[in-house]
Amino acid sequence: MDDDTTERWSVTIEVPDDADMDEAGEAFELSVREDESILAAARAAGLWLPADCQQGWCITCASHLVEGEVDMSAARRYYDTDRAAGYVLPCVAKPRSDVRLVVDQYDAMLRVRADNDQPPGRSKLE
Amino acid sequence: MADEKPHMSGHVDPGDTSKRVGAEVVRERGCDPEELREKLIDAIGAEFTTYYYYTNLRTHLAGEEDYKEITEDARLEDRAHFELVMPRVYELGGSLPNDIRDFADRASCADAYLPEDPTPENILEVLLEAERCAIRTWSEVCDMTRGADPRTYDMAQRILNEEIDHEAWFIELLSRERDDECNPAGHFVRGEPGDAPYSTNNRFNDSA
Repeated sequence: MDDDTTERWSVTIEVPDDADMDEAGEAFELSVREDESILAAARAAGLWLPADCQQGWCITCASHLVEGEVDMSAARRYYDTDRAAGYVLPCVAKPRSDVRLVVDQYDAMLRVRADNDQPPGRSKLE
Repeated sequence: MADEKPHMSGHVDPGDTSKRVGAEVVRERGCDPEELREKLIDAIGAEFTTYYYYTNLRTHLAGEEDYKEITEDARLEDRAHFELVMPRVYELGGSLPNDIRDFADRASCADAYLPEDPTPENILEVLLEAERCAIRTWSEVCDMTRGADPRTYDMAQRILNEEIDHEAWFIELLSRERDDECNPAGHFVRGEPGDAPYSTNNRFNDSA
């Protein structure tokens, strides 16, 4: 699939200062194919982002989309309210433009799910 | 002298039943036992829901006796994984959700629904992707516990062994069914249905 006709987009990944990652406080710019998930591209580039199911289900990889568009159609569980709140799941998100996102947002996205009576937030938070 | 031996108490006062040294020693080694036990609840939620969904998937492999047998092995072994780890949740101070709906909601892998077109090919693909998710989950648990919690690590690596077996089985079957390709697992025989040779060959409890 990686040929000259495959579109590539610039993806900037920001790791928050308080993230439990060695790369806390750093930012990384990757070139990601449009048919590739951002998580797969990051890990292939040596940036070990948190993730679990890689099905767009568990939200372990939750990230805040600051700029750009991603295709979330492969997610097994993704709601309009997630999109409205600006959260995406890099394990299945494929870039459709240049993108900037902040990773390590599990707790925040879990709260969004809970506030909207959606799983798994509603089952894990008060 | 005792004060110079922190592992003697694990920061738990003698006679204190509100804490567990079995959890505090995990914390002392850099793994958060509360975070870990929540992860384990999610993981065994996936094993439990998979056990349920595989019942339906196996049933709809009607007439494909070889596929049904192997799906049955995977189904029973996933249940064994739930049984194996469930006590560890309580050891770490957690508990199962009271409502099974909450348990299913927080399962760390997607529901393994019967496909709309329940052909053997489509069912085998659902089975394969369910196993792949389980491999990722138990690999994460191994990462969390390596060097910090040998008891949970031992359980997770035993389960991981069986999940990797399951993936190999379904790759073999799907390759033949969908692509007419020979893609051998290299191993698949169980001594009895759902034998779970890694996760129950040294049982932590007899309910598995």
